Amino acid sequence: MIVLKRQLPLAITFIMGVTFALQYYIPHPVSEEAITHLSKWMQIISGFALALGLASLFQVHAVKIKRQVAGWGYSVILYVAMLVTITVGLFWGQGQTKVDGAQTAFGWIYDYTMVPLQATMFSILAFFIASAAYRAFRARSREAAVLLVAAVIVMMGRVPLGQFLVPWSWDVAQWLLNVINSAVRRAILIGVSMGIVALSVKIILGYERSYLGGGKDQ
Amino acid sequence: MISIDRRIIFLLIALATSLPLLHPFGLPIKVSPEVRAVYEYIENLPEGSVFFLSLDFDPSSKPELEPQAMALLRHAFRKNLRVIGMTHWLTGTGLADDIFSKVAKEMAKESGKDYVFLGWSPGTGSLVISMGQDLYKAFPSDHSKKPIEGMPVLAGVRNLRDVTYLISLAAGNPGIEMWYVFGKDKYRFEMAGGSTGVMAPGLYPFLRSGQINGLIGGLQGAAEYETLIGQKGTAVAGMDAQSADHFVIIALVLLCNLFYFVLRGEKGRPGFNA
Repeated sequence: MIVLKRQLPLAITFIMGVTFALQYYIPHPVSEEAITHLSKWMQIISGFALALGLASLFQVHAVKIKRQVAGWGYSVILYVAMLVTITVGLFWGQGQTKVDGAQTAFGWIYDYTMVPLQATMFSILAFFIASAAYRAFRARSREAAVLLVAAVIVMMGRVPLGQFLVPWSWDVAQWLLNVINSAVRRAILIGVSMGIVALSVKIILGYERSYLGGGKDQ
Repeated sequence: MISIDRRIIFLLIALATSLPLLHPFGLPIKVSPEVRAVYEYIENLPEGSVFFLSLDFDPSSKPELEPQAMALLRHAFRKNLRVIGMTHWLTGTGLADDIFSKVAKEMAKESGKDYVFLGWSPGTGSLVISMGQDLYKAFPSDHSKKPIEGMPVLAGVRNLRDVTYLISLAAGNPGIEMWYVFGKDKYRFEMAGGSTGVMAPGLYPFLRSGQINGLIGGLQGAAEYETLIGQKGTAVAGMDAQSADHFVIIALVLLCNLFYFVLRGEKGRPGFNA
């Protein structure tokens, strides 16, 4: 069993990892055909991942309802909303929000529940940002003061009123975004990318095995 | 004062948002070089070029990214480009379909002939590779289940190598970075990005290195694009509210720091009992 649970997945990871890292540099028709097929398989696997996620969500909330843990009422709402949406989507909308330009029942749920609910969640962020900025954005140190000044200039330079009242804020904001911000972001990106490369090599070579899970045979 | 009731802050933000929407003051919009770069690239594309617009967002980012999408589509249709649309965000499919139908109707464009909306398919990165290899295997049919093979809009298009210009309007991942890594890097099309305001600063390294040739950031970017195409819409209308909100936040931050320093000065004084 250890062969199936550990050695086989490690071998598949190594072979596929090395093959498709090299594939990128080989524009031969056979290599191109291989990546065409593989990308289709990956798409199919992603579809299964979605179904798996849905099943997991159902299971987690079923346990919450069964044990009546704090906030289990929200799990009931989630269950009802999911089941109604799936049923309506399957039987009264063919999974489409519109058919021949006419709104379906599924489309009605999307337009009048999903869209406003998501928009509301995001728009209340403005209120919390303002409240948090008032409480937390203090010049407690020299570094915090620099950050505060930069933030105020960018906030002014990125809106017409700021550009009108303080005309130089536009140029300074553009400079901050293009030079200082870019340099810092680039450093972070390079660091993260090198970390991803290192982790990928560790996975391909079998040093990183946490993805195999922690069964008895591991 | 330093621990002001947050309901007062909420009220100030509500007023700063709603009053300019009711009584706009319409200040001029300055256009940044990164937005102008996108506009000029599309402006210089020959008629019939293939323009790919990926609407990688969901309704939560609708206020910022829908005006960007509408302005770009209006520009592309006005230039008679062949437009291919899709989304990597499942929950954004209905919204993206709506945007395409709305602008196409307004510009008298026909699905299948002038544009095609492919909809959503799973896979993100692997979907991009699949489209780069063979568009018809990745998407055998469009969002309304019509087979895409033989559509006039896709004449001569086999894969992403045949795309002239691609723009991803993204609210996160999958989005611009993913399109660059799995798409542009291998299939060699020119691309740009559009994003929410909070994401935009993180995309400047890609802009500066030329990995994307332009960037439309947030509502401000959308307003700049609306100004460039000469068709003002919801972005320009919303900029007054955004201006007022920014100024309320700046005032609150300055006020909070003022109280903080006054309090710190008092604490330092002999005989102070907090």
